[in-house]
Amino acid sequence: MRLLRLSLRTLRREWHLPELRTLGASLVLAVVALGVVATLATRIERGMLASAAELIGGDAGLSAPQRLPDHYAEAARRHDLAISRSAVFPSVAFAHGQSQLLDVQASDGAYPLRGTLQLRDARGDRAGRAPAAGQVYLDHRALVALGLKLGERVQLGGRDLVIASELLRQPDGGELFALAPRAMMSIADAEQAGLLSVGSRARHQLLVAGDAGDVRRWREEAAAAPLPQGAQPISPEQAQERMRSSFDRASAFLRLTALLSALLAGVAIALAAQRYARRKTNEVALLRALGTPRRQVLGLLLGTLVALALPAVALGAGLALLLAQGAWLLASQLFSSIPTPMPLLPVGAAAAMGTAVLLGFALPPLARLGEVPPVAVFRASMARRVRRFDALYLLPATVALALIWSQSGSLQLAGILAVSLAGVAALAALLAAALLWLARRVAPGAHPALRLGLAALARRRGMSLLQATALSLGLVALLLLAIVAPALLDGWRRELPADTPNWFVLNLQDDQRVDFSRAVAGLGARELNMLPLAVGKLTAINGRPIDALQFQDERAKDWADRQLRISWAGALPPSNKVVAGRWAGERPAEAEVSVDTMWRDMFALKLGDTLHFDIGEGGLDARVGSVRQVDWRSFRVNFFLLLDPAHAAQLPHTWIASFYLPRGHADALARLARDYANLSLIDVDALLDQIRAIVDRVGNAVRWVLGFSLLAGALVLAAALAASAAERRHEAALLRTLGARRGQLRLAAACEFALLGLVAGLTAALGAGGAGWWLARTVFRIEGFVPPVLPLLGAALAAAVVVMLLGLAGTRRVVRTPPMQLLRAS
Amino acid sequence: MNAPSHLNAEPILDARDVSKSVRGPEGQLDILRGVSLAVREGESFAIVGASGSGKTTLLGLLAGLDTPSAGSVRLDGHALEALDEEARADVRRRLVGFVFQSFHLLPALRAEENVMLPLELEGRSDARERARAALDAVGLTPRRRHYPAQLSGGEQQRVAIARAFVHGPRLLFADEPTGNLDQRTGQHVADLLFALNRDRQTTLVLVTHDPKLAARCTRQVELQQGSVLRTGAERAVSA
Repeated sequence: MRLLRLSLRTLRREWHLPELRTLGASLVLAVVALGVVATLATRIERGMLASAAELIGGDAGLSAPQRLPDHYAEAARRHDLAISRSAVFPSVAFAHGQSQLLDVQASDGAYPLRGTLQLRDARGDRAGRAPAAGQVYLDHRALVALGLKLGERVQLGGRDLVIASELLRQPDGGELFALAPRAMMSIADAEQAGLLSVGSRARHQLLVAGDAGDVRRWREEAAAAPLPQGAQPISPEQAQERMRSSFDRASAFLRLTALLSALLAGVAIALAAQRYARRKTNEVALLRALGTPRRQVLGLLLGTLVALALPAVALGAGLALLLAQGAWLLASQLFSSIPTPMPLLPVGAAAAMGTAVLLGFALPPLARLGEVPPVAVFRASMARRVRRFDALYLLPATVALALIWSQSGSLQLAGILAVSLAGVAALAALLAAALLWLARRVAPGAHPALRLGLAALARRRGMSLLQATALSLGLVALLLLAIVAPALLDGWRRELPADTPNWFVLNLQDDQRVDFSRAVAGLGARELNMLPLAVGKLTAINGRPIDALQFQDERAKDWADRQLRISWAGALPPSNKVVAGRWAGERPAEAEVSVDTMWRDMFALKLGDTLHFDIGEGGLDARVGSVRQVDWRSFRVNFFLLLDPAHAAQLPHTWIASFYLPRGHADALARLARDYANLSLIDVDALLDQIRAIVDRVGNAVRWVLGFSLLAGALVLAAALAASAAERRHEAALLRTLGARRGQLRLAAACEFALLGLVAGLTAALGAGGAGWWLARTVFRIEGFVPPVLPLLGAALAAAVVVMLLGLAGTRRVVRTPPMQLLRAS
Repeated sequence: MNAPSHLNAEPILDARDVSKSVRGPEGQLDILRGVSLAVREGESFAIVGASGSGKTTLLGLLAGLDTPSAGSVRLDGHALEALDEEARADVRRRLVGFVFQSFHLLPALRAEENVMLPLELEGRSDARERARAALDAVGLTPRRRHYPAQLSGGEQQRVAIARAFVHGPRLLFADEPTGNLDQRTGQHVADLLFALNRDRQTTLVLVTHDPKLAARCTRQVELQQGSVLRTGAERAVSA
């Protein structure tokens, strides 16, 4: 208690000390940066997840080939969740003597629970719900194919329905291979028409929506017992493979920004604590000389630190919440339709992390004060014991690693960042040491201002090394955030170029290929790509029936039950890479299959294993000749299993085609589809649009978070530069007394800081470029990412200028220190 | 006894009716009131007085570290009150050297580098050689690569003296130069200062509490509450 009182009194008395204020401000800043970033990131992540819910029409759900048992809906009601039932099935529609196969979705009036059903009718474009009984919505292609207009009637499943609206866009459940054209009708009509009876080809869906916790509980409950035969859960995370990878990358971006802010704060705190410890050395020596035990001295120092930390953390947390709310209000137009409450946990975590950063980075220099011997009151040089290695300084390194680990959530990301930052620190120290060495050699013949600047750097050798390293770490974080992250985002966006295939065609027959190719080319289609498609089942591995085999991977059983899509090609398709074995080519001696890495892992396959497939009436034994890594995020047609053409060409198959057709040709394509009645044409424009919108949302969100991190970084850099301010002031007063002109001091300071900034900037540019390249390859998996060299070099030079200006601004008062102060200090 | 050569010289330092006031929490505070004195080249001049009598303030005004509220100070013909801080810095750099009670060495610099400072400010390329010669003159060649914290008080003050005369100033201002030193070391430092005064004809102006040190100067002035109480008789100093 006495110690606490004493600590509080010390804090009150010392509050005027600039380094203590810097320490407090750094902590506030750390908590604000961590808190704002974490709060915004969590909220944006939730927003994005919610926007994924828009894609599936609810927060979660189940789908099954038969009507789902009622207990799932009852459980949802018990958890206060809204529910909606749908069924999707193909059905032929008739009108004006014409028929057209449609992909029909029958839903109840609650559909969609999330997202919007966009309709067009006489009132214009609007958001709506599933149609009432007796009504139907048709999409544009269905209207064109059947030659119908709004208000007319169409026969579907034996019922006569009025076309109430044109269906523009619907949450599509992420089903890329849903059939098209589309229709939507009331589930009551579908049931009455017998379209959903046992034996129909309908796939039933139950969607739920509500409070996140309730949804989670419902999902856990549903997953607790085995699902009905063929049933699968629907979740926003699983909505679509591509979308999931988008979310992963988005959260990695956000976590990266939060992490770098935290490390910046740590650097600032370490610098301020060093200054404070230096200032306290004489006082501690005096206290020890007066008989204060070491334990009490340490207790007092720790008490002061805690007394400072508590209000600073509280203030930081409060400010973080305020700023996060403000930023959210400004950014929320990104997620206009989705209410996301302010999460409080991230700020609590930020406060805890801020405190850990304070203790981790500030304790070592303060704890070492306990070693100041009483005799140091006479001899300042005895205050510090020189060590070759100080184990206590492993503490900030451990805190930094723990932060990297906890924030990155990925061992890979953590490893890359830790190695990059350590590399940058080492490189900065090395470059700075080289500069200082050079300073000694160049100084005698250099321009007086440069010589003074170099002399100043060399004079504060330890501080210069520390500042260069701190500045480099700060700058590498800023460059990563400001230049590399947007470049990564751009790289990501470029993966969906404007001519990404937006149409897929299924069921194309051998004899239709040439004519169809010519026809779509005539419509202006580009990037036409055709692959054979056989449907079969995997029945044995190395001669052992698949049913008799046990697999550790749960997915294996599911895939063993499924109908597989198998293709063949003579050349390795684009966005495929052979990672093991050798690509078979056109004519291998025996039948070969190339499997995707997921298949290799799922079925524990090795090169040389033999797989037996039942395809059509016959079968095929194929040896595993190679393993491929497939980029599933590309919008190309890709297959888990690729056979060699020589042995597969005789298998019963159809063709799957993909091409890009500029918008505005849908009518012509629909007419073409009438000529090829067996084809299924699938338009993925809407899906592409949604994905592009997600990428843009993430881009905007990251930019918002970046803004805060940049601000935090800039403030921390300023704090780092302030580290040597007191020493500079004394030095400036002395130099002024000895007759130095202000201009001389300013020019010397400009040279000193510009050199420091240049070392830091170049190191940071190298570090950020390297880390960016590494991150792009391994974490974000962006092919062909080249770090933006020129902007990085420009930023390195700009950093030199900014550090120089910041340094000059910081020394403005220093230069004006009246020389008389020196006499007074005597 | 030979008459010192400076006795007939023009004053290198001439203060006339100098006053200094500052605004304090209880209104205006007069630190110096109408002080006049003249110091001739090559002379050694002591300013003595009790604590708070205005000695250090007067030294600061004479050296051009500050400007008087009233009156004038001429240093080698330069009216310091008419010059701005930049011009005064220029005068200091060319003409003045300083020795402080607390030494004021830069802790991050070695002894030799501390001595090089005034030469670096002048942009001289022979800074290192001259600094070594200056350190040699104060008997510190073996300590030239030591940092201030590794030197005793007496050694630190000798480095400060080397720094003060390394650029050949015409005036050396010393503020309690022996105040932080024991008697023997103080004596040694004082000997150094007077040797410089004698051998290089460097005018020495010092502030001191020590009557013995003051007595070694050719003249002294005693301040009391900001005014000149008495001016000591001029005396010749034997070698």
